[in-house]
Parts: sequence; C-alpha cells; structure tokens
Amino acid sequence: MPLDVYLPIAEVSVNAPLLVAAGALVGFISGMFGIGGGFLMTPLLVFLGVPAPVAVASMSGHVAASSTSSVLAYSASRGVDFRMGGVLAAGGALGSLAGVEVFRWLRLAGQADLAVALAYLVFLGVIGGLMLWESVGALSRRRRGEADPPPAQKRPPLLYGLPLRMKFPRSRLYISVLPPLALGAFVGVLSAVMGVGGGFILVPAMIYLLRMPASVVVGTSLFQIILTTSLTTLLQAGRNQTVDIVLTCLLVLGGVFGAQLGARASARFRPEALRVLLALLILAIGLSMGLRLVLDPADPFVLLPAGG
Amino acid sequence: MADLPPQLSADLTNANVEVNAGYSGASISVFGAVFGLADRPSDVVVVVRGPDAPLAVARRERRAGLWLNGTPQKVSGAPGFHLTASSRDLDLIADRRALQAAGAGLDSLPLEVGGGPDFTRAVIRLKSGEGLYAVDPKGVRFVDRGLFRARIDLPVSAPVGLYRVDVILFQDGRAVSRRSRDLTIEKVGIERLISGFAHQRPWSYGVVSVLIALAAGWAASAAFRRV
Repeated sequence: MPLDVYLPIAEVSVNAPLLVAAGALVGFISGMFGIGGGFLMTPLLVFLGVPAPVAVASMSGHVAASSTSSVLAYSASRGVDFRMGGVLAAGGALGSLAGVEVFRWLRLAGQADLAVALAYLVFLGVIGGLMLWESVGALSRRRRGEADPPPAQKRPPLLYGLPLRMKFPRSRLYISVLPPLALGAFVGVLSAVMGVGGGFILVPAMIYLLRMPASVVVGTSLFQIILTTSLTTLLQAGRNQTVDIVLTCLLVLGGVFGAQLGARASARFRPEALRVLLALLILAIGLSMGLRLVLDPADPFVLLPAGG
Repeated sequence: MADLPPQLSADLTNANVEVNAGYSGASISVFGAVFGLADRPSDVVVVVRGPDAPLAVARRERRAGLWLNGTPQKVSGAPGFHLTASSRDLDLIADRRALQAAGAGLDSLPLEVGGGPDFTRAVIRLKSGEGLYAVDPKGVRFVDRGLFRARIDLPVSAPVGLYRVDVILFQDGRAVSRRSRDLTIEKVGIERLISGFAHQRPWSYGVVSVLIALAAGWAASAAFRRV
C-alpha cells in the first residue's frame, strides 16, 4: 500500500489517511467539548500499533495544535479567561513534573499498565457518571418545565475563605488563587500518568468547583491545555526522545480542521445535551480500559521495555 | 579429495536495507554454493541475528479479581530479531548441542532471564508472536547441485541496526563450514534526518515540534476565519 508511511521515531509503518482521519475525529470532539481528546487518542494510537510512550508523547503535540485552532475561535467571541488559564497552567506545570517522576517509579515497578488502566477506570468512570447524572437531571427538569435548582451555596468557603484572593474579571470571580492552582496541579499529575491533557476533569471542575460561567469554561480549558501540552511535548522530546513529529503532523493535519468544525458544531447543540454526549463517551472509554484489568489476558506473561 | 572438508560460499542480495518513508519491511535473499559435497547428505542453516534490545518480562497475576503485573524480570542476551532458516527440520539436521554451538534455532538463544524457564519460554513465545523470532525449516532451498538460496523476510518491526547472517553447512550432524555476512538496516533520507535530530538535539527538536504544532493550529484557525 503506497499510503503507508514509516514513522521515524515510533519505528512502525502506519496508514497515513487513517491517522489523518483519527486526528480529525478527535479534533472534532476536542473542539466541540473543550477537551484535549488525549483520553481518546492515546488508546486509539496504541490500538493502531504505535508504542505507548511514543503515542502519549506525540499525541500531546496534536492536542496542542487542535486546542490552538479552537481556542482562537473561542477567544474571538471573548470566551477565554486568560488569567484563570494561566493560574491553572502554573499548577499544571508543577503537577506534570511531579507526575513524570511518579510514572517513572511505576514503570520501574512494572505497574505502569495497571496505573494507567486504573486511572482511566476511576477518573473517567467517576467524572462520566457524575456528568451523566447531572446533565440528564437538567434535561428532564427542562422537559417538565421546572426551573434549575439554585446552587447550594453562593459563596463556598473553599473559594472565598482561603487567602491569596485574586480577581478574575472575565469569569466575574474574586476568589482565592489556591483552589485553581491545586486543581491545575492535580490535572498535571494525571496528564503525565495517563497521557491526557486533562480537559475532561478541568471542564466539570471549573463549572462545579470554581463556579465559572459556562460561557468561558470551554475556551479557558483549551487555553490551559495548550500551555500544559506544549510543556509536555518539550519535556517528552527532551527527556525521553519519544516525540514522533511525523506522527504529530499527520494527526495535526486532520486535527486542526476537525477542531474548527467541532467548535462551530457545538453552537448548534444545547449545553445539557452536549454534556450527556460527553459523559457517555467518557464512561465508555473508562469502562473499556477498565475491562482490561478484569478480562483474562491472552498470554500469562507480558514483555516490558527494560531500563525504565 | 574425499577427506577435504567441503567449502561454503555465500552472500546477500542486499547487505544494506534502507528505511525510507515508504518502508514496510524488506525481503532479501541469501545465496551460495557448497563445493566438494562428496556425495554426503548436506544441510545448510541460515541464522539471522539482529541487535540486542534491553527487555524485561513480567507474569500477569490475579489479585483481588484484577490482573496485575508481577515483578519484572530483566532479560539479557535477547536479540531484537532472530530467524533460523534451514533446508529441513533442525532436529533432523543435528542434535541439540551441535545446534546450540552453531547458534541455530530458538533453543540456542543465549537468553538470561530471572525467574526460571517459564519466563524464558514466555520471552520466546511473545517475541515469536510479534514475528521477531522465527524458525523456518523450509527456508533454505537447494536450487541445483550444491547451489542454495534462502529468502529472509524482515518485518517492519525488526529493529534498525547491525545484523549478522551466519550460513552454516552441516554434515552428519556436525557443523563443517561457516560463512558470516553483515547486514545493516538503517534509516535514510528524511527518516534519518528526523531521527538524528530527535536523538542528538532533543531539546531543540522539542521546541521545533511545539512551534510546528502551534503554527499549524493558528494557520487552520486563520484559514477558517476567511471562509
């Protein structure tokens, strides 16, 4: 097949149009929901035969590109809180540096597979379940013509009681800087361990924990993802030499256009319906990754790259 | 004349496999001739051995209903690729010891694995499953009296590096003559350029990768704004 291309770092041959299509699909979902799409792309690439470390590292470049493409679309409509994104990313940088060390330790202990599968099962399962429960509730209330229940507490002490308060004018918030920093750091650790941008945790956390207005959540999440994944790409290239630029370019080629279409498509859906879709997607990926832990393996042994 | 040991000549059709953007594995031939057969039954065995790759193997263990990896065991002496092609079944050609001395067959791999023979067998089984370890008892064909030919298929997953091809002549269960040839699989052109850049200047490579990604995102956004 003449359309197969040999990837210089991954050292495997892959079908180029298939990768472009995969990039476009994940980019579309990324632009639509304001998530990086790493939780989709990483398992997909591994399924296509790309070694997992190369998949994780090269995917971060793809997420950076498709996020850039859609954040520009959002910032044109004033949907990005740059200050909040910067604070989240600062926490994310610290978290991902720590996460890289955690991952290195897990790999030496031979438990990296387990950690990744468990992290996918637990975090995607919990987040997906919560989102589904909340958004189905909102949809059915709307169908019955009821008003949304008022938030339990207007000024939660977690946000307003802690020191170092900071103004976030775009989000119309004046809250402590510590919760967003901690959130960013937590997502940074996860992104290093799971090879994801972390948008699927950031988006709900920004809505439910930080009480940010829905209009700026998606754009801000994307902005934070650009900063974090750019750093991750640099670290992976510099420390592990696992970034395959040819793979990244093929994914980017599809991804940037997919992201544009996704960002446009999201305007045509009701936010609750969009959240139901995202919740189902997250649950499906989480459960299928978790299945690997329960199903009998094809072989009772597994080969691991040595050295760590 | 009959007491003179038979002589062996062999060479490869292509001793330098080039990995370019369209690379999808390669097929090369080993050809050669045996002189002074002296009408004794002769067998030719071709052993292709790739560069060693560091590796570990772990047993999957079920704990509390979940499949976990046991302690990884380091594997040393495992080549990244190993193929033995012969003119008939190896155990018909020579006994285990003679094969081991010649380095032919998967039993003769100099594997050192902690954890016991189960782990060693697992390494061979898993590598065979990936197509990287193989035995082909019909891989060598005598095309004419004393003239033989073996086809070697290198899968795309065979690692780049320096390979050694040993051609061994067996008579009466003993290795009587042997020729060795080097085979290289190396990246050329754009593949070599990118891979060299990535490994020799990793931080600059990272910066370039990030810039390409961000520029592509910006360009797509700009292109879409016009339409």
